[in-house]
Amino acid sequence: MRFEGRSWAFGDNIPTDRLVKPQYVFEPVEVMAQHVLEDLDPEFPLQVAAGDIVVTGRHFGQSSGRAIATKALKGTGIGCVVAESFARTFYRNCFEVGLPAIEVPGIKDLVNRGDVLSVDLSAGEVVNTTTGARATGSPADPFLIDMLEAGGLIALAAKRPELFGT
Amino acid sequence: MNLVEKILARASGKPSVEPGEIVIAEVDMLLMHDLSGYLTSGVYDKQVGLPIPHPERTLMVFDHHYSPPTEQQADVLHHNREWARRTGINLLDCGNGNLHHAAVRGGFVKPGMIVVGSDSHTPVHGALGALAVALGNDSHAGTVLPYGKAWFRVPETVRIELTGAPRPGTTPRDIALWLTAEIGEGTMNYKALEFTGPYVKQLGFWDRWLFPLLCVDLGAKSSYVEPDEVTEAFVRALPGGLPYDLPRGDGGEAATVLRYDVSDVVPQVACPPTVGNAKAVSDVAGRQVRYAELGGHGGGRIEDIRTAAEVLHGHTVHPDTRFNIVPSSREVFAQAVREGLVLALHEAGATWFPPSTGSNQAINMGAMAAGEAMISTHARNFPGRNGSTRAEMYLASARTVAASAVAGEIAERSTR
Repeated sequence: MRFEGRSWAFGDNIPTDRLVKPQYVFEPVEVMAQHVLEDLDPEFPLQVAAGDIVVTGRHFGQSSGRAIATKALKGTGIGCVVAESFARTFYRNCFEVGLPAIEVPGIKDLVNRGDVLSVDLSAGEVVNTTTGARATGSPADPFLIDMLEAGGLIALAAKRPELFGT
Repeated sequence: MNLVEKILARASGKPSVEPGEIVIAEVDMLLMHDLSGYLTSGVYDKQVGLPIPHPERTLMVFDHHYSPPTEQQADVLHHNREWARRTGINLLDCGNGNLHHAAVRGGFVKPGMIVVGSDSHTPVHGALGALAVALGNDSHAGTVLPYGKAWFRVPETVRIELTGAPRPGTTPRDIALWLTAEIGEGTMNYKALEFTGPYVKQLGFWDRWLFPLLCVDLGAKSSYVEPDEVTEAFVRALPGGLPYDLPRGDGGEAATVLRYDVSDVVPQVACPPTVGNAKAVSDVAGRQVRYAELGGHGGGRIEDIRTAAEVLHGHTVHPDTRFNIVPSSREVFAQAVREGLVLALHEAGATWFPPSTGSNQAINMGAMAAGEAMISTHARNFPGRNGSTRAEMYLASARTVAASAVAGEIAERSTR
């Protein structure tokens, strides 16, 4: 699975509460998406375009395990999220809602906002096509690739009932 | 196999499992609160809609609310009640306490179970020797409710051995906060943590509870204390008792063992912006606090309320500070009534709130204006979680929270 897009850069330890602030948790995904990460970069929710790639630092998506933060981020239309490391529920939720995610240590120092990245999820590779820099991270497990290809966990369970059925 | 591997092998019908492997396992209990329940039921109704074969394996607790303050929030609770009635799941309505305490007190969680929930502190049930893991709404709606199953990656286990006798005035909560900083946030990604060693083993159940609670900030998937005679005595006294033999791991060598001596740890405060930013209380003493609160997943235990009563004996709450007490369950409030703690703390100037999760995310209480600060026993201190992003949340032990309520500023002892 490959993605190419323009990047947005964020820092370390961003909790889900800053992706979706508590006052928006009951709002529809489209509304949450209009406010994603606005405290950290007010231009992001206004200017993000389909297929863009979000690059973040360590322990991205800590705090709440509810999938709304990943749904809101996916709701912006981004193609993929790349982090130095993820909070594990956030990583899990990315795949379950159909948002490709990849962990690449050292990526933050290799990407400036606006650089164009090429991401290979199965190989665990990211190339900064603007600068030529490359980095290798953790390839996604084949089960997770299946989940993305199905369109998320619920779609996977519907498509392959033998996986979870008795 | 260790306890986690044994539980996953049993629940996935395999003779054995290996770290790194992905398995599909039967889930014994799904825990949801009013917010996660609302989101999960919404996803379920819109995208799944299959029958729920085991509604008795799901518990919803209204804990972020003890009484809805707006029509929108009333609608959320109304929807949840209707959904719970329609599906037949267990529901504990407003005023029953916070999700995790109420689930334990109600006998919904037992050693050896697989327990899941969206709440990120779900791993706290590892204190009972359960494999407790936070999943997202789509796992619950897509596989747990309709099929009673979820996918899990078998985690590598890290053993954390705590030794030594803490200094007077240093409580288990201080040790837990210190350990979060010492080990490092996000450094235990995807791991299962076993808390053990003489220090952990001599603690009572509700003090052990404070250790699996912190595993989410370390990045871990789950965390547990190997069940022993303390666990057994505690579980036998709960509704339903202990219906089977205590599950145990084989006690083999862990791949990674981290050892810490707790003898020199001084009382700690986790300062904003994250839980791992723990400092000695003396380093931040003097910061004015407008609120002090005993409550949340990390507090509101009877142990915390007893400590507060001791600290406030002969003192009153500072006139510029509000000291809010939120029992973690109805049982804790009843016990506080029986011990005379309700009147003692009320007369010292504290305010009692209904059993709930208190100021967690400021859904029902606990919003702050820019520049205000709170010190609490809560589990989280991220900016923006309690009102203004320019308000500050400090996390500490019940002893430090109560002393700060008296002083009107962060303080180690009640010296006013």
